[in-house]
Amino acid sequence: MSPSQIIHKVGAWLDHRLGLSGPLIEAAQHPVPRSSASWWYVFGSATFAVMVLQFLTGLCLATVYAPSADRAWQSLIYLNYDQPLGWFIRALHGWGSNFMVGLVCIHMAQVFLFGAHKYPRELTWLAGVVLLLATLGMAFTGQVLRFDQDAYWGLGIGAAIAGRTPFIGGRIVKMILGGPIIAGETLSRFFTLHVFVIPGLLISFVGLHLFLVLRLGINEWPMPGRIVRRETYLAEYHRMVSTDGEPFFPYAAQKDLVFIGLIIAALIVTAAVMGPIGPNGEPDPAIIQTVPRPDFFFLWLFSAFALLPPWTETFLMLTGPVVAIGLLFAIPFISGTGEKSYRRRPFSVMILVLVFMTIGILIYLGTYSPWSPHMEAWSGAPTPVEYVKGRTPLELQGAILIQAKQCRNCHSLGGQGGMRGPALDETATRLTPDQIVRQIVQGGGNMPAYGKNLSPAEVNAIVAFLATMHPAHQPPAHNAARPALARVDQR
Amino acid sequence: MIVRRRAAVAAVFALSLLAGCDRLPGKPKESQRPLSPAQVKSFDVLYTQNCAGCHGAAGNFGAATELANPAYQALVDDATLSRIIRQGVPATAMPSFAQSAGGYLTDAQIAILIDGMRARWKSGPPLKDAPPYAAAPGDPAQGAQVFARSCASCHGPDGKGGARAPGSIVDRSYLMLVSDQALRTLVIAGRRDLGHPDWRQYPPGQPLTAQQVADVVAWLAAKRPRFAPGTWQSVSTK
Repeated sequence: MSPSQIIHKVGAWLDHRLGLSGPLIEAAQHPVPRSSASWWYVFGSATFAVMVLQFLTGLCLATVYAPSADRAWQSLIYLNYDQPLGWFIRALHGWGSNFMVGLVCIHMAQVFLFGAHKYPRELTWLAGVVLLLATLGMAFTGQVLRFDQDAYWGLGIGAAIAGRTPFIGGRIVKMILGGPIIAGETLSRFFTLHVFVIPGLLISFVGLHLFLVLRLGINEWPMPGRIVRRETYLAEYHRMVSTDGEPFFPYAAQKDLVFIGLIIAALIVTAAVMGPIGPNGEPDPAIIQTVPRPDFFFLWLFSAFALLPPWTETFLMLTGPVVAIGLLFAIPFISGTGEKSYRRRPFSVMILVLVFMTIGILIYLGTYSPWSPHMEAWSGAPTPVEYVKGRTPLELQGAILIQAKQCRNCHSLGGQGGMRGPALDETATRLTPDQIVRQIVQGGGNMPAYGKNLSPAEVNAIVAFLATMHPAHQPPAHNAARPALARVDQR
Repeated sequence: MIVRRRAAVAAVFALSLLAGCDRLPGKPKESQRPLSPAQVKSFDVLYTQNCAGCHGAAGNFGAATELANPAYQALVDDATLSRIIRQGVPATAMPSFAQSAGGYLTDAQIAILIDGMRARWKSGPPLKDAPPYAAAPGDPAQGAQVFARSCASCHGPDGKGGARAPGSIVDRSYLMLVSDQALRTLVIAGRRDLGHPDWRQYPPGQPLTAQQVADVVAWLAAKRPRFAPGTWQSVSTK
């Protein structure tokens, strides 16, 4: 008996008892509108495929990972450096999460643009929103389980936000962290969430989501002018499928399968080239030489929170997410019928572009976080050599003080240093020496006053150095009244 | 048969992939293993993070003392170098780096920095007839003559700068920001990177004696304004 005959026999034996083949074949061959077998309709299945891959790699990682505060970091280091191919599984899982968040967002944008959230598919959309939140929940809890400095401080910030809730803030923090501080129990909680609770949620809601897609049929390609009406839509869709439909498998599924293959290949290449994400330094609160940053899918929140005016912080941090999630849930009820085509829904397209642009800009800002000083620039970013050559002794002392007084943590020189304040490379073209003195001593704009932290000799040296900061072809700023004032002084 | 051959090809391919996994660009290298700041043992990392800002990426062309100058490395002994790194230099911009003095570096890391500087920048036989690193203050009046003979041709007759050395070395703000020892170190070791001669190079054939070095430093130091401790007064560069 050949292998294929054995498989056939075992399958027949099982099916005789389970009786599943009929419904499965029926589901696979359910008719779909010919127009929906498009390359635009592949993102949902790709997200699902990546999720399955996440389950598999996560299973591998869970066999080694130690969910306790004192051993988690060590177990990640072990995976990265000692366990054969441990780094690759970590890389697949880490980049897989990035892929999954990205695909979910693209899938959601496509669904919204094509009006697939409209009648009768409102519930599919609601389940999708839950899946988006669960995916982001997986991303956040996963970032916490990668228990390094980013995770430690990210968790601290999350708890601090939760702690701002009026009246019950303290209790919420205690519930999240398993105590008043990040300690042994904290990681057990996030392990439970990441491995049991949220995956359970994901599986059940993916089930509901797919069931609804099968039951209600895949959304047809939106045509401008084809209006969705509650009274007529179901009959119209039924007619469309019966006259111009094709079986899902293999007609539409082949595109899904090709795209899944491409995505998985891209993921494998990314993981192999980029390697595992972290862990960076040991999560030890006594180590203060650290620049914690959230993973990219939370960078936009990080930027938004950093840039909010302080007096709006508590209110917006607590109400913002509730309102945003509420709006996502409300979308199919706000626009449940009418035009489906994005060509006839300019307002929806504008909202989508606005949301994506805002998030994109916030992620960009979060990557560079220009509001954040670069705390090691003063000792680690050398004064550019061209600013050292040909300088007088006093100017050189000024250059040393620019480093030693940590000016460069906020001001860059030669492209290195903080971005909080303006770059110092062309200061002298903007400010006269007198104005530089005033700015340093009194501060202003975003800059603190340093008058009390610098001796007059130090100010003189810094100003002497900064007064040389202009390109050779551009004269320094000067006070036109200076010669006249000098004559007045002489009298 | 064809199926089997395909399976064999696939297996060989998969095995070769697995074998190549050790050389994939994403595999973390041993050197990337994260260390806590106190565990860093690499001179390059320690120097780049703590010293390069002021002393230059390669120990020269920084605004502060040229550490890569062999004359400087020959002049200063390990104990002095260690003390300066550990405790800094009071009243100057050199901060203290030892954990015991509020810095971030352990004693072992400071030793690594000193060893590394010696290995990289100390070269050639020890200097003969060099003035000692430190000495008692000299005589300012004698120092004025030393200045006129050995320094004035570049720094100008009164030290306020000349064509070959722009900028005043008797500027009161400048003198208030540097220690006597820094002036002495500069006179003896020079700054090879910025073209300042060491004690034996100028005028040619007439190296400075230990007494002359002490005198000229005393002459410079005497031009530094003195204020009662704790009071700052206006210092004009005019």
